[in-house]
Amino acid sequence: MSTYDIFTTDVLVVGAGLAGERAAIEAAEHGHNVIILSLVPPRRSHSTAAQGGMQASLANSAKGAGDNPDVHFADTVKGSDWGCDQEVARLFAETAPIAVRQMAYWGVPWNRVVAGKKTLPDGSEIYDDPEKEGLITARNFGGTAKWRTCYVADGTGHSLQYAMDSVVIKLGITVHDRTEAISLIHDGTHCNGVVARCLRTGKLRVYLAKSTVIATGGYGRLYGASTNAIINEGTGMSISLETGVVPLGNMEAVQFHPTGIVPTWILITEGARGDGGYLLDKNLHRFMPDYEPVKKELASRDVVSRRMTQHIRKGFGVESPYGPHLWLDIRHLGAKHINRNLREIANICRNFAGIDPVHELIPVRPTQHYSMGGVRTNINGMAYGLEGLFAVGEAACWDLHGFNRLGGNSLAETIVAGMIVGKQIALYTKEATLNVSSTGIREFVGEQEDRIQKLVNCSSGNENVYQIRREMENTLMEHVGIFRTGEALEKAVRKLDELYRRSQRVGLQSSGQGGNPELAAALRITGMVKLAYLIAAGALAREESRGSHYREDFPKRDDVNWLKRTLAYWPKGADKPIFEYENVNCTELPPGDRGYGEGSSQNAGASAASK
Amino acid sequence: MELQKTTTSSKLEFAADVIQLASGVSLALFLWTHMIFVGSILFGVTVFNRLAAFLEDFYFLHAAVIFIIIAFIAHVGTVLRRIPGRWKDQKIVWQHAKTIKHGDTWSWLFQVVSGSAILILATIHVFVVVYGGIDAKLSSARMHSPFLWFYLSLLILGEYHASVGMYRAAIKWGWMKRQTAKRVFGIATLIFLVIGLVTIGTLYMLGGAV
Amino acid sequence: MGRQLSLHIMRYNPDTPEIKPFLQTFRLEEDERMTLFVALNKIREEQDPSLQFDFVCRAAICGSCGMLINGKPTLACKTLTKELPADITLMPLPVFKMLGDLSVDTGTWFREMNLKTEAWINTEKQFDPKAREERMTNDQALKIYEADRCIECGCCIGGCATANIRPDFLGAAGLNRVARFMVDPRDERTDQDYFEIVGNDEGVFGCVGLMACDDNCPMDIPLQEQLAYVRRKMAVAGFRR
Ligand SMILES: Cc1cc2nc3c(=O)[nH]c(=O)nc-3n(C[C@H](O)[C@H](O)[C@H](O)COP(=O)(O)OP(=O)(O)OC[C@H]3O[C@@H](n4cnc5c(N)ncnc54)[C@H](O)[C@@H]3O)c2cc1C
Ligand code: HEM
Ligand code: HEM
Ligand code: SF4
Ligand code: F3S
Ligand code: FES
Repeated sequence: MSTYDIFTTDVLVVGAGLAGERAAIEAAEHGHNVIILSLVPPRRSHSTAAQGGMQASLANSAKGAGDNPDVHFADTVKGSDWGCDQEVARLFAETAPIAVRQMAYWGVPWNRVVAGKKTLPDGSEIYDDPEKEGLITARNFGGTAKWRTCYVADGTGHSLQYAMDSVVIKLGITVHDRTEAISLIHDGTHCNGVVARCLRTGKLRVYLAKSTVIATGGYGRLYGASTNAIINEGTGMSISLETGVVPLGNMEAVQFHPTGIVPTWILITEGARGDGGYLLDKNLHRFMPDYEPVKKELASRDVVSRRMTQHIRKGFGVESPYGPHLWLDIRHLGAKHINRNLREIANICRNFAGIDPVHELIPVRPTQHYSMGGVRTNINGMAYGLEGLFAVGEAACWDLHGFNRLGGNSLAETIVAGMIVGKQIALYTKEATLNVSSTGIREFVGEQEDRIQKLVNCSSGNENVYQIRREMENTLMEHVGIFRTGEALEKAVRKLDELYRRSQRVGLQSSGQGGNPELAAALRITGMVKLAYLIAAGALAREESRGSHYREDFPKRDDVNWLKRTLAYWPKGADKPIFEYENVNCTELPPGDRGYGEGSSQNAGASAASK
Repeated sequence: MELQKTTTSSKLEFAADVIQLASGVSLALFLWTHMIFVGSILFGVTVFNRLAAFLEDFYFLHAAVIFIIIAFIAHVGTVLRRIPGRWKDQKIVWQHAKTIKHGDTWSWLFQVVSGSAILILATIHVFVVVYGGIDAKLSSARMHSPFLWFYLSLLILGEYHASVGMYRAAIKWGWMKRQTAKRVFGIATLIFLVIGLVTIGTLYMLGGAV
Repeated sequence: MGRQLSLHIMRYNPDTPEIKPFLQTFRLEEDERMTLFVALNKIREEQDPSLQFDFVCRAAICGSCGMLINGKPTLACKTLTKELPADITLMPLPVFKMLGDLSVDTGTWFREMNLKTEAWINTEKQFDPKAREERMTNDQALKIYEADRCIECGCCIGGCATANIRPDFLGAAGLNRVARFMVDPRDERTDQDYFEIVGNDEGVFGCVGLMACDDNCPMDIPLQEQLAYVRRKMAVAGFRR
């Protein structure tokens, strides 16, 4: 057995996005030693890609007047289609304003209220109070009763991540970037750290900690068309699942964003519609008001995505070599507004599609965007199944989002959860001791070394990792998308079952030495296929429609049987997952009508057709 | 922080930069003024001679020589720290310029080259002029000789160095936007080159036959 | 039918330092709207799975994929192949430590830079969770953001000859970062404090005005203006000292 470096610390945070860094800061401020691991330098984390904004009920902007945590809470619960944990949502809504203000204190240049009269694109007038001049302003986002989304031009995630990382640097928190956690070290009841692979040298390392935090973000890249960064492969979730004792919650809840640009799937932020952009079909008809007369383009994401797909299915899509799409029109906002407030969108259109949005229409289609599911935790952020294991951010199912996340609630979750869970981690760590034997460690390292050996020597087979990956992506895209049916899902499960077996027979074509990228991909593939399996199988089992999970064969929400959270386990050595269910905590707001979405019928489309 | 940094004055590097700027800009202004003076030959031999006599009589010439010596020392002194001294650094810089194919990087390298050439050429020139004396006869005689090539090189290198230097100073300190600076100093170069060439031509034609 | 592209890619493996970096040629058929992100992944998946390069966001947001594309330091993910000739040479960014092929360690360089310039809000004030945020005009916020947009891609550093020969030079990204805090009213540092950091040859007086940074910044940050702003401010501070 080869030698490996061992690092010991109080708190080990796997992931340097907003959630991971915020939790790390909280733990460090409580006096703990913290090490952060990340695939990439922290400032390259996927959080920087968030453009639109972060929700908090500051009530400073004209259209935010009267907002408060109660309203934010209600929006969040409705948005989740009553799938969220209401205690968590309450705690979240109360803390979000503090989080936004603290980020301001740490340097985020939030856009501010400019007093005076303004005309909105729809012709209505608003008046910003001079008393509020210079306070943090907000923009409109889908699914919210008030303008609540605080923003920094359209680089909100970027500015947040840079400010957050500046605090990490200031506090001198250790960061090991280009380091990938590939396995948890645990004894069946306690988590003691991780085995990691250095992506620079390919060497294995051991990190031991009293508390281990999964903050690895989403799994978007399981899908072929995703707005996510290419490092979002759900590894944090899969190494947790791999323990056999930690369940993943609600993995079938996958959000699609209405506007991914065709064909690179880069996100055109909701800000484009919030600022007054329209969706048009092939006849250049603005169809959303036909389906959603009140919220129009700004109904919640799942609804808009579904309406778009519905409209395309009716034959109103624009044909293209990459499949049918619709148009996003922001031309009427004017060159000045587009080049200043929506600059990044304009750049994306120009650089990646050769389109000038000031004069041209933008081709868009619903695209995988967010994973509501993740490592299931309690309200303190501790994972089910293993003590000393925590999860925050998109990697977690804390469960703030239920079956649909509202735009702007995710950035808010990363930071709010980072604060709250970070504090719980600090408290837990104070009492905890590190109890791990060297044989225990060796066992976990040995297991990984074996895997690597097998891959390098091709001793289990010669399957091509990229081939399997592509088949997995296509399976999810085709059968586990926005509209789901039992039949298609069964197909998907069968295919994923096959891919799971094949993934265990992967062998490398290259040498696998040093920071070899093929080896990195091969080490992840089985875990990724498992996650895909959970998504498909969980969706097949859930015979209702809720939030982003829409079953054509069960189009209604079913609170009697399915007001439940899915918990998926993959027992050690098993060749398929098992599902358990737990009740959803509805402490304040009983299930009701969302006021948008399925309630308003399919017929609306018919009237669209006749127009 | 390293010991050397805490014990040396942190103002030194700032001072050097300001001296470099001041010496460079005043040398450039000197060159341009001097071009106009020499250009007076275009208005005839008498004008040129009177101007030369005037400058000598009122000690402007001495002043100019003293100024040139000080400015040269100051400029060379401050600028030397910019020129990649080690052979390895020289290689890196040239290789870098070749790789990235970037206009302003090349122009800086030529500024170093032209500056080094000027150091030699201008020193000789000042010596010759001061010891040889200035009047139309002498000057044109010098010009009508193999020295012609010397003057042509000095003119082109000097102009190039002065203009690029002024451009760089202007953008470094933000007096102008780059496009504007490029235009302004491009035009200035053109004008002074024309004046210089015509002057050299005129002196050459005179060929010491005054 | 697309063009036949020839990509000449610099290969280097830190485990075998005795093999000097060399260019290897890969051939590829061009697709419609192909970016270098697409092209490089295709090569890795179909021709050489050991090829190392860095992409994260593939949307010109994260700053991972800076490299020399036919000599020009820029982001590979936002470079459409149709804007390039059929012969494309790709090399890693200079200055930064090479990690293998096109991959370089920008992260370490930038963390050090941020540490050296103390690139965080320096203030004596404590955060009060109960208080309303401090006011700021929207124009101030936008001005900060203008400089804050830097994605630390390193194109300005790799393209700067000065940074190539002076390892301690903060470069345009470093000076722009300082400018970002200079215009921020929440930062309580004085110009004299900033002078300590950048009023020297590691900082703004080390810049000789090569302007490769200004020409190559993929975020179009007005680096010439930012550098000049810092230089003038530091000159005033220098005179007052
Ligand atoms: C294009 C786009 C736009 C968005 N816009 C908005 C918006 O406007 N508002 C909003 O609220 N939300 C938005 N979101 C969602 C939001 O950005 C993300 O949900 C959020 O940033 C996730 O943060 P995180 O900290 O959980 O994870 P991430 O930021 O994804 O960070 C994950 C970290 O984990 C590390 N990591 C992963 N795996 C490993 C491993 N195995 N070992 C070590 N490290 C690992 C990575 O290096 C990274 O540092 C957007 C998402 C997308 C895709
Ligand atoms: C004596 C020999 C000379 C040498 C070796 C020399 C060299 C240089 C070098 C290397 C620079 C670049 C410095 C930098 O960018 O930081 C420079 C700048 C400059 N030089 Fe010269 N030079 C010489 C003479 C002159 C003369 C005669 C003039 C005027 C005609 C002149 C005008 C300038 C100007 C205006 C600058 C720009 C100053 C700045 O950017 O701060 N130089 N010189
Ligand atoms: C005290 C300093 C100087 C004096 C008195 C001086 C004087 C003269 C005179 C009299 C001439 C005419 C030709 C001759 O008589 O040889 C001349 C020409 C010239 N000098 Fe100088 N000079 C001085 C410094 C410089 C410097 C520093 C430079 C260059 C950077 C310079 C560049 C030239 C050039 C290029 C010409 C050619 C004529 C032309 O193109 O107009 N001189 N100078
Ligand atoms: S200033 Fe521009 S070129 Fe330099 S690192 Fe930042 S974004 Fe990249
Ligand atoms: S390229 Fe370098 S020298 Fe200055 S102007 Fe830019 S930092
Ligand atoms: S991959 Fe993020 S900037 Fe190119």
